[in-house]
Amino acid sequence: MLLPSLLHLLLSLFAWLNLALCADTAQENAVRDFFNNNASPGGGSAHTNNWAVLVCASRYWFNYRHMANALGMYRTVKRLGIPDSNIILMLADDASCNSRNKFPGSVYANPGRHLDLYGDNIEVDYRGYEVTVENFIRVLTGRVDPSVPRSKRLLTDERSNVFVYMTGHGGNEFLKFQDNEEISAHDIADAFEQMYQKKRYNEIFFMIDTCQANTMYTKFYSPNILATGSSMLDESSYSYASDSDIGVAVIDAYTHYVLQFMEAINKTSQKTMQDLFDYYDVSKIGSHPGVRDDLYNRPLNQALITDFFGGVAHAEVVGSSDDEAQTQAQAGGNFVTEPRSDSPQQLNQNQEQEQEKDQETTQRTIVRRVPPLSINSSVVSESQKLARSGMLTIWDEGRDLRAWMSLFCLVILVGYVSWNK
Amino acid sequence: MLDAHNVNQPPIDPATVFHQNTYLRRSIIASYWLVILLAVPLWWRTTSIERLSLPTSRVASQSESYLRLPVRLHLDTPNAGAASALQSLLDESARRDPDRWNGLDVLVSSTKINGNSGDSSYTIINSPTILIDGRKLYYPSNDLNALADVLTSLIVPGSHSYSIQRVAQYSPRYRLAFSLLNQDAAAGRPIVDWDITSAIDHHLSPIFTYLSTLHNFTIESQVQFHAPLAFEPRQLPDGSSALTHEQLTIFINSAEWSLSSSASNDPVLHFVLFVPSIRHSPLRILNADGTTLSPSNAFLLPQWGTIHLHNPPSNSPSAGPTLLTLTDLSQPFNSFAMQLLTLLGVPSLPPTISRSPHATVTTITQWQLDALMRRRALENSERAKDTLGSIIKLVDKIQNMPVGKEVRNDVVDALSELDQMHTTTHTSLTHTLEHSAHALTLSSRAFFNPTMLALLYFPAEHTYAVYTPLFASALIPLVVTTVREFKAWRKQRKQRGGVQEAKQQ
Repeated sequence: MLLPSLLHLLLSLFAWLNLALCADTAQENAVRDFFNNNASPGGGSAHTNNWAVLVCASRYWFNYRHMANALGMYRTVKRLGIPDSNIILMLADDASCNSRNKFPGSVYANPGRHLDLYGDNIEVDYRGYEVTVENFIRVLTGRVDPSVPRSKRLLTDERSNVFVYMTGHGGNEFLKFQDNEEISAHDIADAFEQMYQKKRYNEIFFMIDTCQANTMYTKFYSPNILATGSSMLDESSYSYASDSDIGVAVIDAYTHYVLQFMEAINKTSQKTMQDLFDYYDVSKIGSHPGVRDDLYNRPLNQALITDFFGGVAHAEVVGSSDDEAQTQAQAGGNFVTEPRSDSPQQLNQNQEQEQEKDQETTQRTIVRRVPPLSINSSVVSESQKLARSGMLTIWDEGRDLRAWMSLFCLVILVGYVSWNK
Repeated sequence: MLDAHNVNQPPIDPATVFHQNTYLRRSIIASYWLVILLAVPLWWRTTSIERLSLPTSRVASQSESYLRLPVRLHLDTPNAGAASALQSLLDESARRDPDRWNGLDVLVSSTKINGNSGDSSYTIINSPTILIDGRKLYYPSNDLNALADVLTSLIVPGSHSYSIQRVAQYSPRYRLAFSLLNQDAAAGRPIVDWDITSAIDHHLSPIFTYLSTLHNFTIESQVQFHAPLAFEPRQLPDGSSALTHEQLTIFINSAEWSLSSSASNDPVLHFVLFVPSIRHSPLRILNADGTTLSPSNAFLLPQWGTIHLHNPPSNSPSAGPTLLTLTDLSQPFNSFAMQLLTLLGVPSLPPTISRSPHATVTTITQWQLDALMRRRALENSERAKDTLGSIIKLVDKIQNMPVGKEVRNDVVDALSELDQMHTTTHTSLTHTLEHSAHALTLSSRAFFNPTMLALLYFPAEHTYAVYTPLFASALIPLVVTTVREFKAWRKQRKQRGGVQEAKQQ
């Protein structure tokens, strides 16, 4: 009597959710088109400072490659102009001083040991047991103890572009920290929302290299976040190569190819995010990197790599004290084109966009569960993805149902045991 | 033998064993339940999150009330109609550009205002020469349209988007970092020291005094002898070097120069005096077209600071180390002073207006200072209200975010600062600004309170996984025995009832 009705309920729930999901993807595409069409013509970023948070979440010698991943990113952002004061580097272990390291004081990211990532000028802000989920969330949200020094704080404002890179061992919607705790996709999404509410960023670029990495950004719901990951759900991320003298794998494949791409970038490069994502090669990386850009409202081919990896790209020549009038002219002539304009029409459009965004956030309960766009859709067909996301949604939506079911089972068990005796 | 002996003994009646006594057994079970019941409040207390209620409705009503700052103008003229004409001209200007005039109420009067309110009102005095002095403006009042334009640019200085972008965000405290960088002192002609103390005293102290109501400044300085560039400047045919516009944006070699100490968390504004090495000397700046040289040798990085290229005069003795004296530093420090004003958002005067005769470059007139204070007060109150609103929103949205006493107190204090700010708008602009700054500081402190860290997200599965092995194994036997005891007790009662009935019959 109970079972058939329950089955019926489940079936109808599934059908309804599938419908809702399809409708929502269509609507979301429409919104995205709207944003793309109304994007500012210059496409330039409105930031005045750059920050980077680089996290290696795993310790122990055999995770040498994760240290190398984070240090490789550190070297790149520093080379491209983000000062040490604006880089928060979290390294869960000190591979360079590990007693098993045959090359003390050095960390290499390639089998030939060509480039020492540790170098002679490195500033690790959080190390060893300081690398915890709590500290990471505190860094992002700015809720740190008053005694924490400046170098360990993310002092961003609404004109900051923030690059967040994470690496370690992970799974479906979580990343392990130090083998004893884990951060979930919800935690990062909530932290980003708190940053958004306090106007702590202009744009965020989130990159993660771990197994099932693409699941980590599925829960994001705050605007102006561009996210990319190394591998999709139920897929591992693989290491690139090992060095026979070091004896362990030295870097992960995804990070290796991202860094390879970055090596060709200099401070004034005009390469865009689209170029980076086009550079992904599944056959080389061994997993399917994903990109999520539905929260990001600039076209990817206008978002420069240096908007996130570099220093700031605005400078104006100023006159000396006696020729003030000339200063104004100089400044007007030399200043980089402003993406925002003061004309009332543009302002109205901006307001409209804001409203759209608001609507989007109110609908986020479903929108944020839309699966990430996979770069290589040839392997996973659209229908498969939809089916999978439908299943996922059912699994998520049914949380309450499952709780009541398990309670029900427990009661039956208790009843059975007590009445049977 | 023993076995036989045992067999012959009758089995012990369970009811006679001490611990199988019905009463004792039932009180043991009951005491288990008692312990559990007593522990429930403890468990509830230790696992629940302290979430004090925040004054949501006050925050909501505060976000509805916008700061209105009065600007009183006194037109000193015998012509009675001039004041109302000027008023309507300014109103028209405000209607045309509401964003620029946001939060300001302009009142023009022709009657002489005496007494205490006189100190915050502006006086426009008819005079053939255009001059500014304190809160007085000398202006020929026959052309009201031109006067209205000048007043507009004085009260609400032009806010081009690029000039807004240069201005650093408001902070009650700033750190100013002065650096003298020798590109390569070893190559010759090093500058080993500079008379920074007197240069700051002479050129910047007046600014600090003017702005003391707005900001508190901390100053640090350093001299570096090796500050290499990360790129090669373009060589010009005449042997000098020049920076292209692109190179200006990447000039700061943050990887190798350490420009400021990390002593505090205040925002830092940088002032760099860069001495190029002999090989690159003199170092100039190319115009945006990339061919002609710019007459200037300083450039500004918005919200970051400014860089001045110092090319020692070519006729100076080439060998020995040199010191920069106050006179050498006058040009760079004049430029630093100008850029400090720009970075802090001090508006410039309209070009048609000359200052009072005893003013210097760094003199800030009362009109400029008031305009800046009004803008900062409006900004601060908006930011404080935004922050309070986002605290309420986040606490509402993230259900496991704790809200402690400190947070609530800070929120309440910020709200009362905002209330006080509204009451002081008509009496003192300085107080309004102070209250707005306090409100901003308190609301930010509430937001960044370290205790407001939401518990990490646990899926429902994890909660069951934690509680089931702990409690299921203990609870199931307990529930089962209770049920059995209850059944036994009912059976017993029925039997006893049956016996009694039998007796009665």
